[in-house]
Order: sequence, then structure tokens, then C-alpha cells
Amino acid sequence: MTPEEAKAYLLRRARERGVQVEVLGVWDRELGFRVREGSVEQVTRADRGGVGVRVVIRERAGYAYTEQLTPEALDWILREAEENASLQREAVAFLPEGRALGHHDLLGEGLAASADSKLALALEVDRAVRAQESVRRVTAAWYHEREHHVHLGSTEGAEGSYRTGVASLGVGLVAQAGASLKQGYHADWQVSFAALEPGRTALEAARRTTRLLGARRLPTGRYPALFEPRAFAQLLGAFWVLWSGKAVAEGKSRLRGRLGEQVASEPVTLVDDPTLAAGLQSRPFDAEGTPARRTVLVERGVLRSYLTHSQSAQALEHANTGHAWRSYRGVLEVTPTNLYLQPGHGVSLERGVVVAELMGVHAGCNPVSGQFSLQALGLWVEGGEVAYPVEDFAVCGDFLELLRHVVALGDRLEWEPVPGAVVGTPTVLVEDLSFAGS
Amino acid sequence: MLDRDLVAEVLARARRGGADFAELYVERTRRRTLRLLNGEVREALSGLDYGAGLRLFYGIEVVYAYTNDLTPQGLRQLVDDLVRLRAGQVDSSGRGGLDFRVRAPVGLHAPSVEPEDRPKAYRLERLREAEAGARVDGRVRDVECSLLEWDQEVVVANTDGTWATDRRVRTRLSVMAIAQDGAEVQTGVSAPGLSVGLELFDHHSPREIGRAAGEQALTLLRARPAPAGTMPVVIGNGFGGVIFHEALGHLLETTAVARKASVMADRLGEEVASPAVTYVDDGTLPHGWGSSEVDDEGAPTGRTVLIERGVLRGYLVDRWGARVTGYAPTGSGRRQDYTLAPTSRMRNTFVEAGEASVESLFEGVEFGLYAKDMGGGQVRPGSGEYNFAVREAYVIRKGRVEEPVRGAMLVGKGPETVRRVVAVASDRRNAPGMCGSLSGTVPVEVGQPHLLVSAIVVGGEAR
Repeated sequence: MTPEEAKAYLLRRARERGVQVEVLGVWDRELGFRVREGSVEQVTRADRGGVGVRVVIRERAGYAYTEQLTPEALDWILREAEENASLQREAVAFLPEGRALGHHDLLGEGLAASADSKLALALEVDRAVRAQESVRRVTAAWYHEREHHVHLGSTEGAEGSYRTGVASLGVGLVAQAGASLKQGYHADWQVSFAALEPGRTALEAARRTTRLLGARRLPTGRYPALFEPRAFAQLLGAFWVLWSGKAVAEGKSRLRGRLGEQVASEPVTLVDDPTLAAGLQSRPFDAEGTPARRTVLVERGVLRSYLTHSQSAQALEHANTGHAWRSYRGVLEVTPTNLYLQPGHGVSLERGVVVAELMGVHAGCNPVSGQFSLQALGLWVEGGEVAYPVEDFAVCGDFLELLRHVVALGDRLEWEPVPGAVVGTPTVLVEDLSFAGS
Repeated sequence: MLDRDLVAEVLARARRGGADFAELYVERTRRRTLRLLNGEVREALSGLDYGAGLRLFYGIEVVYAYTNDLTPQGLRQLVDDLVRLRAGQVDSSGRGGLDFRVRAPVGLHAPSVEPEDRPKAYRLERLREAEAGARVDGRVRDVECSLLEWDQEVVVANTDGTWATDRRVRTRLSVMAIAQDGAEVQTGVSAPGLSVGLELFDHHSPREIGRAAGEQALTLLRARPAPAGTMPVVIGNGFGGVIFHEALGHLLETTAVARKASVMADRLGEEVASPAVTYVDDGTLPHGWGSSEVDDEGAPTGRTVLIERGVLRGYLVDRWGARVTGYAPTGSGRRQDYTLAPTSRMRNTFVEAGEASVESLFEGVEFGLYAKDMGGGQVRPGSGEYNFAVREAYVIRKGRVEEPVRGAMLVGKGPETVRRVVAVASDRRNAPGMCGSLSGTVPVEVGQPHLLVSAIVVGGEAR
């Protein structure tokens, strides 16, 4: 069976059994090349997909999925999902009323090119990095693309599909100067193959890594901090969950009950926009079939909205912003799409630390408490100029506190994929931050 | 799960296409997740993963493909596409049929209580007991309990004649307690897991697991911000072993060693750690969270001594790593699932017990940190730089463990830290974790006794 046939089968069986069901069918195609020092190390080609169901019986929701599309497996998931639904005491679940959502192709010819030309891109970025000064070796250079098909249907009338895609080019390297070793990487993501530029990716990877060679230790203290976009995107990637309506409704967010309050400094405007042209996470509708639209989360420091789906919107008496997300293998979540910090008018740092990269983000950030303590790499700035790179230090603080100390923003957005979303930020100047070093 | 003649045909097609080695991995995994927040079911998910991964070697070049379409046409298409992607160098002299050496599991880690033996309501009751255990006092505001169950069947067949099957049943109970006092909010976690079925609850009482999470949250509530700077650190046993996992284990995987992307490459026989350190990776521990009978390349797992009294004795070697480096494979080829090609990975990795008493580790410390329980961490093998979060920590003053502190992050370079281990106690314990790398996220155990490191950078709050 194809995912579409499986969807039709499940909707028919659910109607026969008198249960409400929402079926998500996904099919992904992937192609990847990993090369190193002039030779091809790995070629990957993949087809993967399956169907996931959300069943609602007596206002209780249960989930199940399968990648084996046989009648037996599909019947098994309906039974399991019904059993899972029956475990709930609370009767609050519902399927939103559905509508025809249309069939959308956001990818078009974006990935149309020969496999050879894609491999050539990976080889070119590998070669170009090795030609840079101080680069000792390439750990891997890669091209990867993914074409993503989504079909949504429900017994409540939702019906639609879309197709998206993304291509990425990246490289990891080790640089050396004397006894100083640094490992680094850079990757670019685009919705069109033609927009990738191996020379630019290579230069950026080499620049980001070699500038950190010969780093000195940073004395422990409090300094102004200039977050480069990648570093700030990592923080936002760990803490966007503060805005999740699901987390707010479950009492896990410190932004609960603070709509209309000043939660950040005046330069901070945070937006999520699934309708962006060429946005890496753009999509016509969410996992429940709510049409996509732009949402302003923070406007000049004032909390304006959470990210919600139908259930969290109802629980919070908040508008449904259309941020339901579900993998066919998981349960309904709330996630951002293209989340970005509105650029400002530029930044300048007289004395302090440029935070270039953060490490250990998955372990060092606590989205419930808002606290973070993260290993960082960066540059020491004195008299408005970069004096030398610094290493072996950690930055610590509270994310909401940090947002209140943002004093200026750069004038250009850079996008960085983070778990569950893609984040765009300019450079961010924070007036005071705790650094632990020697 | 699959017809042997069909598999032989697929592998032979690969060889006709010029590959000098081909491997087919087929997986069928039933998963169940049940998550409760404050007694209410927040997530009840069942699923069936089903797919095949085909890996071809052309020398040390690897091509990999995967699909959910396991029909004869689907598998033929998979191999033909892959061969076409790696065009050129076609050798039409691929040998004929394969004579597989069949290896079935003997049940070393088999469950005694099968997932199907208990209804869902039984699981729900156990989770509610865990929650009751976590509510040690009124400041425990929220409790999240979850039960993860995997039942994975795999077949690995390759052109060397391997036909290995295995079944891995794993169960993990996880409790997170959130405690609040005024504006202060802290979390405590306890999450045991083993390669067992629902008898997990006999090994670990849900109530006790809940209590551990609740008490940790309360301890952190009264914790002050951690001190910042370089100081001696006593690292606790059990999950404390994550520091060696990050700072040393990842550097010993051929994934990094073969590319000379590890500072530990080409150093067999050298003293790379303090003589107090013996470091072992063992995939055969009965019912260990990271154990299995065969690895994901179909090779039997084993016990691998990595470091013996400070001297580097071995690496974790997968099939590709063996080709590149010439080291013998150690049964360490692992992958998250059929969507990823296997690479060398840790299984159950731990520092062997030493002879010091736990008390003696603290005695000489004027001012330092006792890192009792860890969060996760990260390492860059090319430079050895690592970091990890300390979940539960205390200040050591004049040899005494004093007030709890929070928010500490340990930062350093692995090769330096392992030389600074000055004493190792005898109370080794292992704990489960999930390890992410090139071939995805796999279950591993980390472990160690209490041990003393003379100096680590502690990232706390500077004042």
C-alpha cells in the first residue's frame, strides 16, 4: 500500500468502528554524499515513510503508527491507539473541524539536478577548505537533500497535502597553529540546490575555526557579551519552548500568565512565520490542518502571544496560532516553524566577549528553570577591536534575564536549524553576563 | 522476517555492481511510550518501525540506502539504485550464491516478563506508584513519569556469509520531579533502564525511583549557585561515568581514530591516563542497557579493555574502522535503526573499581566540588574539548561535603582530565544513558566508582 492508500483504508476502518481519527501520512526521499580529503566516504539514498494516527474516543486521544503498510499492521495501530486513548481519565481531547486544504508544491524544481552535480558540490567544498591556511584536515564534507511529502486527512473533514524540500552543504575541519588545535564546522541550508555556494561555505567554515587558534584562557568575571547569530540561535533553540502553549498549559513555562507584560528589553521582537518565501520550515498548514500565518510572539519586549495548537489554545483561551506539529511516529506537539528575532540597527562592542559558539546546549540549558551554563568559544574585544581568541570558559545565566539585558541587535539575519525548528537571529549585544574561566 | 534466497540475490546484485562487501540489515521494532504528568496520561503511543538498510563497501567508500519497502521489487530497486549512484568501477565477476552461517540469539538478555504479558493498565499503576513516591513533600509541584518499551528484532546478512538474528527488549522508567519554593523552580530526575521486559519493576521499585527524583529536586531547591573557577572535583559513581564517556570513550571510537580526528589516534601502548584508570567497554553484561548478543553488523559483542592502568590498549572497532585501520573488529558496530549505517560505538563503558575508600577521596580537598550526579555532555574528539552539566553538586570544604550547589558545568580537555585522576574508589556502579553520534542515538551504560580529579574548570556563577 502507498501512504495515500493507507490513509484511505484507515479513515474507512475508523468510520466503520465509529471512532474519530486524524491520519498523517509522510513520505521522505533523501540523498546524501559524505566526502573527505578528495574521496567519497559515504553515499546515502533513502525512502522512508509511514502513517500515524491520532484517535479520539469519548474525548480521549491515543496514538499509534506503522511503517509497515499492510491491512494487519494498520488494524493493529487502530486497536493500539484506541487502547491508548482508553487509559486517559481526563476527557479534554478533540479533533478540530476539518476542511479542504488543497495540494501544495513548495519545492517545485528546487532539487532538480543530477546526482553527480550534487556530489561535485561536496567535493568542491572539501577541496576549498583544505586550500585554506592553518587547516590541518577535513573531518567530513557533505551534501544532503530531503524531499518531504505530507498527507493529512481526518474523519472530521480535513484533507490536504504538500511537498517541501531542503538541500544542505557543510564541512567539518580541524585547524592547527603550533600546539593549538581547533575543531569547527559550517553548513548552509537552502530550499533550492542552485542557491548553495561551495566557496562561501568553505570560507566561512575556515574563518570560523582558524580565528579561534591560539586562544587564551578567559579570566572569570562579568563582561558585556556579543552573541554571534549561531550562538544566539542555539540559545533560542533550547528556550523557544518557553513560548510553547503546550508547555504553558502544563505549567512548565515561566511565561505563563504574562501576556501583555514586558518580558524582554525594547529591541527584542520575536516572530514566527511559516509563510516566509524560501523559509526552511515554511508550510501551508499545520499537523491539524490549521492554515499557516505569521505570529508575533514578542513585540518590542512585550509578550504578545504563545505558540498554540487547538487543544492548548482552548486550555489557555488563546487564539490557535497553527503551530501543531506531528511526526507520523510521534504525538501532537507544538513547535515553531521559521522563528526569528527581528534585526536591529547594528551593534558595537567596546570591551567584552564575542561569543562565537556554544557547546553542550542539550545538557546545559534547563527550559523549565530558564537557566543555562554552557561551554563557549569566543573572542576577547578591547578598545573596540578583537584582541585575541579565548577558550576554556563557560557562560551562565537565565535566558529571560538575558533577554531583559539585550541592548542592541545587528542588522542582518542568519538562519540556523535547531531541534524542531529553524531559527533566524542577528548578532545580539547583551550588556552583562557571567563568564567562568580561569 | 525475510526470505534467505531473496537476501542472497540482493547481496549478489550488489557484488555484481562492483561492491566488495554488502550487508543487509532488517529491523522490526515495536515501541510503546506511556507518559503521565500529575497522574494524567499525556502521551500514549504505540508504533511499529519496519525497514531495511543496505550497505555496500567499495574499498573504504561506503554507500548506504534504506527503505520501508521490503517487497522483492522494493529491495531489488534499492540495490540497483545504490549501485547506479556509485557508477563506474563495475566488476562483473561477482561471485554467485551465498552460504549463510546462521546465528540465532541464545537469550542472554531475554525478558522474563514479556511486553504482551501485562495489560496497559498494569503499566499505568506502576507509573502512578512512581508518582506517589516522588511526592516526598508539598513543594513537589509536578511529577512526570514515563515508561519506554522497545522490542526490536533484527536480521543482519552480509556477503561474508553472516546471517545473524537478535532480539533486543529494553525497558526504561523515567521520573522527573519539579519542585517549587517561591519563585525558585528545580527538577530532579531518576531513570533506570535495562535490557529486560516488564520485570524492570522487580529490579527497580517504582516508588523508590520516584522518591529519588523527588529528593533530588528538593536538594536543588536549597542549592545556591555553584562556585566558578578551577578546582579539585570528586565525581560520583554511576552516571558520573559520563565524564569518561565524553572525555575519553568518544575519542577511542574508530569513527574518530581512523580519520585521525581523535587526539588518541596512533597511541596504542602509550600512557594516556593516570595509572589509577582502567577503562573497559563490555557489550556482554547480562541485561545491560547497552548489551546485545550481536552488534548491528551481526558480529558477537565482547569485552574490550580500552585502557589498562593508564596505558592505551585498544579502540572500539567496527567493520569500516577495521578496514581503514587494520585493527580487529570488537563487535562495536551500532546504529539507532535501519535508517543509519553503523559506526563504532560504546556499549556499556566504565572505569574499573580501584582500592581507595570513598571517604579518603574527600580528605585532602581544601576547597572543591562534589559532582554527585551528572546531566549530559558533549565532546569534540579533534581537540578533546568536552563539557557537561552537573545535576547534583555540593561544595567540599576542608575535606567535608557541605551545602548543595546548582548550575555547575564542567569544562576541559579529555586527555588532560584523565591524567588528573588522582584516586579511584571501589564502589563502581553503572547507569543507563542515550548516546548520540554519527549512527544516531543508541542506549549505552556509563559507569565508574567515586573518583577524584585534581583540577577541572567549573562553570558556575561568577560573583
